[in-house]
Amino acid sequence: MSSNRLVWTRTSIWLGFLALLALGLGLLPAYGFSLAFWFYLLLWITLASGLNIMAGFTGYLPFGYVAFYGIGAYAAAVTVKMHGLPIWAGFIAAALAGVVLSLLFARTMVLRGIYFSIVSLALAVICRLLIAAMPEDVAGGSYGIALGFSNPDGAYYAMLALMLATLLTVTWLAQSRLGMALRAIRDDPDTAETVGINIGRVRLKAWVLSAVIASMTGAIEAWYTSIVDTETAFNLLVSTKAVIFAVAGGLGTVIGPVVGTVVMLIVDDLIWQHFPVLNVFLLGLVIVLLMMFLPSGIVGSLIRAKPFLRRILF
Amino acid sequence: MLEVNALRKVFGGLVAVDTISFTVPENSILGLIGVNGSGKTTIMNCINGIYDATEGAINFRGTNLVGKKPYEIARLGIGRTFQVPRLFRRLTLTENLMVPVLEDSRSNAELTEKANALLAEVDLYRIRDNHAEELSGGQQKLVELLRVMMLNPDLILLDEPFAGVHPNLCKVFLDQILKLKDAGKSFILVSHDLTSVYSLSEHLLVLNQGKKIAEGNAADIQHNPDVIEAFLGR
Ligand SMILES: Nc1ncnc2c1ncn2[C@@H]1O[C@H](COP(=O)(O)OP(=O)(O)O)[C@@H](O)[C@H]1O
Ligand SMILES: [Mg+2]
Repeated sequence: MSSNRLVWTRTSIWLGFLALLALGLGLLPAYGFSLAFWFYLLLWITLASGLNIMAGFTGYLPFGYVAFYGIGAYAAAVTVKMHGLPIWAGFIAAALAGVVLSLLFARTMVLRGIYFSIVSLALAVICRLLIAAMPEDVAGGSYGIALGFSNPDGAYYAMLALMLATLLTVTWLAQSRLGMALRAIRDDPDTAETVGINIGRVRLKAWVLSAVIASMTGAIEAWYTSIVDTETAFNLLVSTKAVIFAVAGGLGTVIGPVVGTVVMLIVDDLIWQHFPVLNVFLLGLVIVLLMMFLPSGIVGSLIRAKPFLRRILF
Repeated sequence: MLEVNALRKVFGGLVAVDTISFTVPENSILGLIGVNGSGKTTIMNCINGIYDATEGAINFRGTNLVGKKPYEIARLGIGRTFQVPRLFRRLTLTENLMVPVLEDSRSNAELTEKANALLAEVDLYRIRDNHAEELSGGQQKLVELLRVMMLNPDLILLDEPFAGVHPNLCKVFLDQILKLKDAGKSFILVSHDLTSVYSLSEHLLVLNQGKKIAEGNAADIQHNPDVIEAFLGR
């Protein structure tokens, strides 16, 4: 099968699947399903896929990814509550905040490997402390901000839209020139630069894109819960989970973070139901086993072991 | 087209390249020989921006290359291959060739066609969708040269192109070099295989421990006592 036809086939299958998924998920509120589980499923798929753009396509593992999520939540809450603007203005503010913060942090990409991850983590902590230290009438101080209104259905649809937009973006990225440049950089950054790629600029694009996805997610979550506070919005568990889900599914693949999120949430749920005492221990064990036996993640390892699966998985 | 003037590169206390000067005229092949560790690769790394020269000037058609980034130098028209081939292992052959031109304004179709035409010339078109890691070392070196050709550079630096390559592939590689030379390109050629350097290069530079110990055409070099000593002596 020629590579063009291969790409065309699997992309069509995947887009068809996404369309069905969108339809099914879009109908849930109308049939009176409890949205909490589904909202967070969409949220985690979005965050894991957004993080995958940064980690999977550039090789940087940002443990402080939550900084963008938190800044988005706060940007939206401040815009809506402190300035009395509508929620869509909050979303725009969140996107802008994501862009600005990612540009500010872009310099950290000169660091590599674990050094980058540690600095990224530290910056997330600093963001939380800075916001908590701001006066109450600016950013709510240590109590956070209550939006004063909520619209779970609206937030659910917004989350669904953002997840679809994110997945479509990643799908496009996988076959675009930008995506190819990112994959080359991930393989070997020095060589990519010597053959003519402006690696700083290419990475920056992925970085900003990835940050905006997180900041929009934060804003939508703020709308869903109608409250933000620094503890929750900048909780490092958010980055950790996004990293685990993306890695479990397969960094650098399109479908991996989706599969990883679904599988890990189900595993997490089963563990909670049956072994409430040992839950954290067992979850850790599952992750270790996964990394030992499927080091490239579920989807990544499947593709490696059975190349014919490249016809449907990517 | 290229003038290297009093180039020096120091690593800590080690002088890897010690005040070397040379020029590469348009449409010529300069051979660079010397035993292992004499500084050949380091000179290439300074020219294409992987290393910053400690001292000295490198001019390419009037542009000073010192301080420029590798991708800028590549876009100015200097390509290079590596002693140990450095393809993108998990990209296909066609994709490998596309990488240098991704930020180009030409259409995908046009660039893919060009990449595939280059692959066809060396009989690798059949396996264009294979990942680069599946190739033999010699094939990888060949694909590296094709990847360089995508930006159509005027000066090409070849670091040990024949080392560890099957003789049949060497022949293909050699033909490519000659064809490009006919098309007006220039080369700096580093090789252990003295026969091929002697036959290809108009001009040769002999290095020993970072210093230039001889310079001239093949006949001059072959009979130079210093060169004989550096290669065979001790
Ligand atoms: N990045 C580096 N750091 C320290 N020493 C280096 C580095 N690169 C090369 N050298 C040293 O410089 C000298 C010249 O190396 P090189 O240019 O690779 O030689 P050649 O290509 O002629 O075999 C060697 O002694 C080598 O160990
Ligand atoms: Mg060398």
